[in-house]
Amino acid sequence: MIIQLLNGMQLAMLLFLLSVGLSVVFGLMRFVNLAHGTLFMLGAFVGLSTAEATGSFWLALVAGTLASAVVGGLLYLGLLRRLQAESPLKQVLVTFGLIFIGLEAARMIWGDYAARLPGPAMLAGSSEVFGVVYPTYRLFVIAVGLVVAAVLYFGLERTRIGAIVRAGVDDRTMTAALGIDIGRVFFAVFVLGCGLAGLAGVVAGPVLSVYAGMDMGVLILALVVVVIGGPGSLKGAFVGAVLVGMVETFGQVWLPEVAGMLLYGLMAAVLALRPQGLLPAGPRP
Amino acid sequence: MNPPASGSRHAAALVLLAVALGYWLVSGYYGKEILAEIAITAILAMSLSLLVGQAGLVSLGHAAFFGIGAYGMAGFAAKLGWPPALAMAAAVAVGAAAALLVGLVAVRLAGVFFIMITLAVGEMVHAWFLKDRAFGGVGGMSGVPRLDLSAVGLDAADPAVFALLAVAAALLVYVLLDRLVLSPFGQTLRAIHQNEERTRALGCPVGRYKLAAFVVAGAVAALAGTLAAQRSAFVSPELMTWTLSGEILIVVIVGGGASLLGVATAAALWVALRDQLSSLTDHWMLAMGILFVVLVLVAGDGIDGALRGLWRRVARQRGR
Repeated sequence: MIIQLLNGMQLAMLLFLLSVGLSVVFGLMRFVNLAHGTLFMLGAFVGLSTAEATGSFWLALVAGTLASAVVGGLLYLGLLRRLQAESPLKQVLVTFGLIFIGLEAARMIWGDYAARLPGPAMLAGSSEVFGVVYPTYRLFVIAVGLVVAAVLYFGLERTRIGAIVRAGVDDRTMTAALGIDIGRVFFAVFVLGCGLAGLAGVVAGPVLSVYAGMDMGVLILALVVVVIGGPGSLKGAFVGAVLVGMVETFGQVWLPEVAGMLLYGLMAAVLALRPQGLLPAGPRP
Repeated sequence: MNPPASGSRHAAALVLLAVALGYWLVSGYYGKEILAEIAITAILAMSLSLLVGQAGLVSLGHAAFFGIGAYGMAGFAAKLGWPPALAMAAAVAVGAAAALLVGLVAVRLAGVFFIMITLAVGEMVHAWFLKDRAFGGVGGMSGVPRLDLSAVGLDAADPAVFALLAVAAALLVYVLLDRLVLSPFGQTLRAIHQNEERTRALGCPVGRYKLAAFVVAGAVAALAGTLAAQRSAFVSPELMTWTLSGEILIVVIVGGGASLLGVATAAALWVALRDQLSSLTDHWMLAMGILFVVLVLVAGDGIDGALRGLWRRVARQRGR
């Protein structure tokens, strides 16, 4: 039971890293980047190559995060920025096309087989927590998620930049009217979100395998997190990720046959009660 | 968004049918297989056209209902041994029921949220069939029988007969959906597409109309699935991947969204192009993705109007 809780929490933290960028970018820019999962995959692959070349997990972590941030930034400047003024439908379709391109590109560069990213030596083995023996690396995954959540929370609630971002989510026009260069804030948030997706990819590498196509499974879970958590909010992404992580993990153990349906049931239940998601961003009442 | 006048539409439909039958006459074994695939893809694309082109509901999970129809056919006919015709009807009913279940949640959501939900649910259905041992998991199920046409002296095992059967099914679906689009029901869907708030204010139960469209589209997609299962005598979770949902959406957008004939024509072009590309390179999906991005960027919202205009002009000329 405690092991399952920890497993659920581990999946939840990976999903949080992935969906927080997706969610805040959507809340801030009304932009659905379906290629977000592709950046997760890119981070994992670049991390894998770096780890194989240097033997260092920590270098892989840095390289994977940077690669996704840079590619995300270039995509934004070269392609996605132009879609800002277009209909959301176009944004979805273009980024959906990017998933196809990313998948085939990954196949061409890294081949069509699954590999496991070696974890750091210092985190090998197991530790005892809450009376159970649990792989140390998985505890590290949980810790990374919690630390990132804390840093983001502090950054959003206590800093000037965070205040600007929150203002932008609540009322974009008014924020721009205050003389704030909202375009630059968008760009920074977008790149940060992409970097977090890459970080999630590397961190997931030693737990899940790294393979072309790994992006779709996590993208779907991240979309569910965003929809049930309420788009645009950090807390929504966190709560949504924990719910989805737990339902996925316990579903696989207790009711493996209908695990996918459980998630659908959760989504249906949340949307029936709160069509805007559990903790949507926006003007507080 | 009004459909073209009935005269030119019928003429264009007849031209399309004549081309299909002409190809059937001259093609060999492989060509007839391709023709059946085109007809099945056209049915699937026309069903999505009802959602995208008429109601403005962009679904990225349509392959799920295609796959449910195919698995329904395999389950009822191959596993339970029902007569193929009965199995087909039951599979379509299951597809409609599944669409009702999904639609109840999905149509509550607008715009981008609808797209995200359909993509997510479609992938969950895919994941379920991948895992579920009762349906053969990754390996799928084989031994799906074809319709028994011996009563009319035909053998559906013959590719030539099966291709004709698929074309006939596509024609039937075209006629039915065409009537539906022109009916008050279709007009209401277009009204919802254009201005949902105003339509609601006029007293129209918007949600129920969207749900009905979703169920009809799901049932027709399931019908396409039952034919696909018969064509290859085999079903696998491959039938309901997100890539297929994306492909069908490209076909619908390229075909002009609301025009059933345009969508059917795009389906033919698409299957032919994919057939050529996949024989040239393993990475044909890369070409497809680039095509997708360029099409949306260059043509975008205008592609619907542009292609409809072009199609109407061609149809008018051919109709003379």
